[in-house]
Amino acid sequence: MSNYYNMPKLPTEASPKVEIFVDDKAVMVPGDTNLLEALKAVGIETPHVCYHPYLPVSGNCRQCLVEQEGPRGRMLVISCYTPVTPGMKIYTPASSARVKNARKATQEFMLVNHPLDCPICDKAGECTLQENFMEAGQNESRMRPEYGKNYHGNPEHQFIDAKGQLRGGKHVDIGPRILLDEERCVQCDRCVRFMRSIAKDEQLQLAGRADHTYITTFPGEKLDHEYDLCVTDVCPTGAMTAKYFRFQKRVWLLAHTPTISMDDSLGANIWLDHADGRIYRVMPRCNPEVNRSWLSNTSRLAFQQFDKNRLPSIDVSAIQISGGKVALVAGGACTNEDLAALKMLKETLGDRAELFGGSLLKVGAPDGIAKSGDPVANREGLKLMGFADVAELLKRAGEFSNLITVNADLYGEDAAAAKALDKISNRIALSAFDDATAKKAKVAFGIRHWSEVQGTMVNSLNILQKLSAAPTCPDEKLAPAYEVISALAGNKFGSACEAFKKAREYVPAFADITYDAIKSTGKLLGGNA
Amino acid sequence: MAECVKVCTQNFGKGAQDIEVYKKLGGYANISERLFNMSQFELIDYVQRSNLRGRGGAGFPTGMKWSFVPRNSGKPVYIVVNADEGEGGTFKDHFLMLEDPHRLIEGLIIAAWALGSRAAYIYCRGEFLPCIEALNKALNQAYAAGYLGENIMGTKFSFDIFVHRGAGAYICGEETALINSLEGQKGQPRLKPPFPAVCGAWKSPTCVNNVETIMALPWILQHDPSEYAKMGTPRAGGTKVFCISGDVKNPGVYEAPLGTPMMTMINDYAGGVVGGKLKAVLPGGSSCAPLTAEEAAVATMDYECLASMKTMFGSGAMIVINDTHNMVDLLNCLGNFYSHESCGQCTPCREGTGLLHRILNQMVAGNGHDGDVELMQSLSGGFGGVTICPLSISLGGPVSSYTAKFRADFDEYIAKNPEHAKPRIQETSRPGIFW
Repeated sequence: MSNYYNMPKLPTEASPKVEIFVDDKAVMVPGDTNLLEALKAVGIETPHVCYHPYLPVSGNCRQCLVEQEGPRGRMLVISCYTPVTPGMKIYTPASSARVKNARKATQEFMLVNHPLDCPICDKAGECTLQENFMEAGQNESRMRPEYGKNYHGNPEHQFIDAKGQLRGGKHVDIGPRILLDEERCVQCDRCVRFMRSIAKDEQLQLAGRADHTYITTFPGEKLDHEYDLCVTDVCPTGAMTAKYFRFQKRVWLLAHTPTISMDDSLGANIWLDHADGRIYRVMPRCNPEVNRSWLSNTSRLAFQQFDKNRLPSIDVSAIQISGGKVALVAGGACTNEDLAALKMLKETLGDRAELFGGSLLKVGAPDGIAKSGDPVANREGLKLMGFADVAELLKRAGEFSNLITVNADLYGEDAAAAKALDKISNRIALSAFDDATAKKAKVAFGIRHWSEVQGTMVNSLNILQKLSAAPTCPDEKLAPAYEVISALAGNKFGSACEAFKKAREYVPAFADITYDAIKSTGKLLGGNA
Repeated sequence: MAECVKVCTQNFGKGAQDIEVYKKLGGYANISERLFNMSQFELIDYVQRSNLRGRGGAGFPTGMKWSFVPRNSGKPVYIVVNADEGEGGTFKDHFLMLEDPHRLIEGLIIAAWALGSRAAYIYCRGEFLPCIEALNKALNQAYAAGYLGENIMGTKFSFDIFVHRGAGAYICGEETALINSLEGQKGQPRLKPPFPAVCGAWKSPTCVNNVETIMALPWILQHDPSEYAKMGTPRAGGTKVFCISGDVKNPGVYEAPLGTPMMTMINDYAGGVVGGKLKAVLPGGSSCAPLTAEEAAVATMDYECLASMKTMFGSGAMIVINDTHNMVDLLNCLGNFYSHESCGQCTPCREGTGLLHRILNQMVAGNGHDGDVELMQSLSGGFGGVTICPLSISLGGPVSSYTAKFRADFDEYIAKNPEHAKPRIQETSRPGIFW
């Protein structure tokens, strides 16, 4: 049982640099962190299983051993729990046979009671055990069949297989979204620590002891939490697997597109894992300032709807703006580029056009993990661009005769409140989906979904973040919103980069930022970074 | 056998469970003006001069341990008595608490004064029900007599003792696992630092001491510390309660000064080896390396001598083994115990102890192979100093020492398998380096 309060200290850019000696060579490393992170900072990877930068240190896998020179001679220490001190002398496998053998021994112990069913394991290809085996393991097994294996597992789920071997529970249903393979578990207790320290809901426990330890929920309870799929990310082996992704695709066949989840104003950083033109899964992308390594189930599973109920692309000429006032409404998932295009359209239309943005959904409270609770992802961008709130439009709906909504499903969000918009005769919906607003519109124009466009957004922490386009668009003819709108305004943007240039003209905070200079972890606006 | 001064066992068999009897035998004499006029530092210095070392197994100097407990940290200081006696062959605390519970209470009041503590917990092994009953009875009597509770003896000093019943896990004898268990968590050792002296039970400074250590305090305070120090060796003072078990005529609990020759303990105290000739002695409980008969002839029972013989003094639990036993059976028994009692936290211990036990099991069942001994030695080498607590070494140590000192026993068992020379079969032909 690890202390629940010893969170690892991670190095930052502001960390003081101290000199330590690694394999008798002097190197400068961040001084306020643990040895594992410090070695990583100078390019030395240390194999580890239980350590996770955003979970309390448990120190139970004993895989990250290094040798440290101390008052009582050279001692083996775990690098994840050893703080960096100036002048310390460290020996890695590069110079120390003892460290090499100790890691090899630990790796051997790790696999003693592991089923080694990699060919049918979903985690194969991104499994920490496999990586560590190649890094630190040995090639030849020393076990004899008569020693047998003592598979970890709940006695209730154990069974005897065709060879007469007692096996641990396979595909145990521990929750609505997760299956547990008890014998693949290596008892790193990452999932237990995640549920305890991050989700703050202790639904998982390690029961039993010694080599009959197994992961379980409380009797009669299920693992059910808004963040429970994160345990499949932190699981170093194939013990915890997500039902939705099980046996869907071999992970090495997936391509990864880094982007931003546009269903919440925190803008969780994600990877879209796709192959054959469709998304197979969404994984959190580590960003220390935003969502760390976590992602809510809502954001993670949203992709299942991305290719369903889509609007077809039609010719731009179908969009006809009649006389009278025009309301331009941007939804929460609009990128800064879409907003810049809308603003440009307003300038073209002159005083008769007004800009509105947001949604009719309720704003919730931040959960402190990876959600701010605000469904309008680009709320800060809307503010910077000077868009009025949608509520304003509902009050003054009678003044307008044209309504152009961009990714704003007002009727779907609150049908009763949106009734006020019925007064506007010429309703045009630009939307990825054939939603309620598109159905009620005179013209429903299909555009690309946010997962298929490039662009930028400003999250609730005022960080400018970049979206990338995954090649998963169901129809190649679909265009991003900014392209369609800028074409209406008579100055079609060829790319998101071009659109961002326009955004820079409107927003002083963007003035000295170029599209290409935005890092994958984003850029803090108005800050020093 | 010279008659030695009895420190902890002086009241054995005298009915000292009752407070009146205990007081008649000189008990609670320390809880007086003299104690409450001593400063904490004087008292700690007193204990340091007595050269008292922890009796739980590690032998850490008690006075030094106490001096590590921070003062004025703004948090309460807890004293935890480790009465979770689980080491194979050790049964001294059981008898000490059963025969003389008031001495433990008196010692705790002294320790509490030295550490400025308000509350102490006696973490007693769950199976020791009679001990727990005796302790609770003694506590009630001590509360009634005014030795515990609010404003003891009219001073401003208040102190409470609670008996906590453990659930019988061996690992809860490790101090941080004990604290976890006391807090209501799973009994698994914690990462150190922080050490319990700084951040222990409920994140407060905590001093964990063995029953016998605490029970030596009343005697030390009654007499001069130098008198206690004189009884032992230069680096460890006093007497020790030994538990002698195994193939001896009179197994039991004996108190003797530190530094007593091992053969004196076996022959004079315990009445000599029975059932055969002396084969081996485990000097400090089941987890230490055995001494052969030749080594036992020259060994003395103290920390330094046994450390120089690459074994350890431990809890002073001597297990005497005669030559009718095969050491493989013994080791298999240890393998069974330690693989069952591993807390399941660190990988080498969790998986390795079980694997060693399975190999030994096969050997005992007549399925041993050439190379098994080397494999076991190599596996136990992977335990050395790489885990949070020393439980893995408690099996790893015996595996290396048994195989080194009693190799013939292992070969005897392996020879029982007619196919013992058969090499390990490769289950698949492997074209590449790893499949």
